[in-house]
Amino acid sequence: MLELRNLSVHYGHKRVVDDVNLTLAPGQTLGLAGESGSGKSTVAMSVLRLLPRTARVEGEILLDGEDVATMSWGRLRAVRWAGASIVFQGAMHSLNPVQRVGDQIAEPMRLHGTRGSVRELLHRVELPPEKARAYPHELSGGQKQRVMIAMALACGPRLVIADEPTTALDVVVQAQVLAVLKRLVAEQDLGLMMISHDLSVLAETCDELAVMHRGELVERGRTREVIANPRHPHTAALTAAFPVIGDPAHRWAEPGRTAEPLLEVRDLTVDYGRTRAVDAVDLTVGRGEIVALVGQSGSGKTTLARTIMGLRKPSSGRVIFDGAEVPRSGKALKAFRRQVQLVLQDPASALNPRHTVRAAVAEGLRVHDVPGDEQSQVTAAVEHAELRPASLYLDSLPHELSGGQQQRVVIAGALVLQPRLLVADEPVASLDASVRGEIVALLLRLRRELGLASLIITHDLGLAWQIADRVAVMHQGKIVEQGSVEQVLLNPSHDYTRALLRAVPQV
Amino acid sequence: MSRFNRSGVAGAAILAVAALVAVIAPLVISADELDVTRVTAAPWQSPGAEFWLGTDHTGRSVALLVAQGAGTSLFVGLTAAVLAVGIGTLVGIVSGHFGGLVAGALLRVTDFFLVLPALVLAIALSTVLPRGLGTIVLAIGLTSWPSTARMVRAQTLTIEARPFVERARALGGGHVHVIGRHVLPSVVPLVLVNATLAVATAIVAESTLAFLGLGDPTRISWGAMLHQAQLHGAVPQRAWWFLLPPGVAIVVVVLAFTLVGRALEAVVTPKR
Repeated sequence: MLELRNLSVHYGHKRVVDDVNLTLAPGQTLGLAGESGSGKSTVAMSVLRLLPRTARVEGEILLDGEDVATMSWGRLRAVRWAGASIVFQGAMHSLNPVQRVGDQIAEPMRLHGTRGSVRELLHRVELPPEKARAYPHELSGGQKQRVMIAMALACGPRLVIADEPTTALDVVVQAQVLAVLKRLVAEQDLGLMMISHDLSVLAETCDELAVMHRGELVERGRTREVIANPRHPHTAALTAAFPVIGDPAHRWAEPGRTAEPLLEVRDLTVDYGRTRAVDAVDLTVGRGEIVALVGQSGSGKTTLARTIMGLRKPSSGRVIFDGAEVPRSGKALKAFRRQVQLVLQDPASALNPRHTVRAAVAEGLRVHDVPGDEQSQVTAAVEHAELRPASLYLDSLPHELSGGQQQRVVIAGALVLQPRLLVADEPVASLDASVRGEIVALLLRLRRELGLASLIITHDLGLAWQIADRVAVMHQGKIVEQGSVEQVLLNPSHDYTRALLRAVPQV
Repeated sequence: MSRFNRSGVAGAAILAVAALVAVIAPLVISADELDVTRVTAAPWQSPGAEFWLGTDHTGRSVALLVAQGAGTSLFVGLTAAVLAVGIGTLVGIVSGHFGGLVAGALLRVTDFFLVLPALVLAIALSTVLPRGLGTIVLAIGLTSWPSTARMVRAQTLTIEARPFVERARALGGGHVHVIGRHVLPSVVPLVLVNATLAVATAIVAESTLAFLGLGDPTRISWGAMLHQAQLHGAVPQRAWWFLLPPGVAIVVVVLAFTLVGRALEAVVTPKR
């Protein structure tokens, strides 16, 4: 049905897709894996000729035997959506915020004169029909993604291309969306090409797997075989990057020792207006201990972290750091913030795009008027974060660095104040698989060498297995279970923990 | 992009010439030639070899008047714009950063000035206050800051929502740090662009006030010339040379500022 023959795409002199050959038959599911910049999205967009004008496409793209490149404009319009459709990445940005989702689903049907009902489409993606009257902001992330899928199915295409369909979703919702996609493929004999950086997601959904690396297709075969016996080193790196819960080889944290408490949270409650975001939480982080706080989005884990940092005022309860209650304002709060540092999810936005690495790392020093030689302190922190030699990076601007390097700069900016606790909010969620492992290793090394304790907030249970000594599971503002990693992840006692573990895609 | 740059350079060149004229004119032109009581030429002369742009109702050279007027118009335009943009930036950043009651109060004041017709307010102010250049600057400055304030506030809010500001707070940075290191540097380019456009508006406002006879009577400005022309019947005299030059001068300088402003905007807007 879809056949790519010697497809190459250039932007200027840069070759982003290099001689790719792929075929896809009806009813077949193909996963396209690769890191950011590997050209996987470019391949997908080229199928419907959606690339910008500056792209030069060579080779043939055959849809049902017809070359997309030579189609007339009218023919191309007919093929788009009716022949093949795309579930775009990031449902939150691909829906029009001022139109009801029902109208948006109906739009391609109107354009193509296809008959069908929005009701029926919503039913197929397991959404109640009333949701047609909802605006995008009234839907959750998973519901929006289903609307995107319904939209892709509107004109009865035979090929659906899903570009990172579950990237911003947490595990439970991700499992639901994947189940919907799988069922639709089986029921309707669709061809599905799914693009993701996450091999476990592809393993869950696709029969066949193709791995891209720097524009080239490096490996292709049955999903099971590719993951079990990767032939290309890059595939091996990708499979190794996703931890398997319960596998001792993926447990990187050294066996923990019991430590006296550094941070204690006692009966902490935070309200947003009438909503109770954090509900009577007790949590302890010991000296040099790594604690993972896991839960779905909306469970209140980020609010809890903000409150610990003193960025939000709690409604009631206490935060005790090193034996003393955390002050709520003034000089004492500022002094506390030197001891506890925050690492945010998306390093690209956590750095001011106008500040050089030197300025970003030195910011904390300047805020606290730390005495001593700024240059040497900054250099030391940057090298601690494994950006060596520091002189190579100090004068760069954030956009000149890769995602992993940016995250190291954020970590260096925290380290420069010699904190005792790091609060990291999804520290690896926006990073590529290969970089992810390096950052995890860095956090563990910092603990070993500097005795740095961490509170890692994540929805990724694999990360918790990799790095943490203890895990606390948060659900609807409450901590429903906490204990050692082995105890919580291997023998969960609470239903919610079990549900979370079940939803984790298995490689 | 290149088209904007070319027109921006053209605008900058026009402004350079205008500034040069404004600086040199008072040094070169003797007071006698602009004094109504001492000029000797006949009134309402059409353009010729002696007077390039003819003479006005008292026999003064229109060319010299236009040159002399450049200084007043540019001075009022620039100072009023600086005043307006300064107030606007301050109000915008303070209301955007602090939020809450302070922002509420400041925004109501902004809204008050925004809904008042600026020209009427300026006219009222310049009738109440003693006549003079300072009054005009004040009247224009005080009426044209609200739009800048709104824009700067919007920009401040978007910057404050970015994670790097949260990181700065978590590092222990206070208000001064966040405003000085993060908000102000990202607002400044926008403010600069806005300032060039504000100068253009201020020049027109000055001309309007002067045309309505509310200007500084002791000074020659382009608006004041138009006022004189209208007052002494340049139209029935068919003395187009008295009306056209100051009018064209205003249009050209305002256009030049707008061109520079748009070119700057294209330069400072981050490309994605």
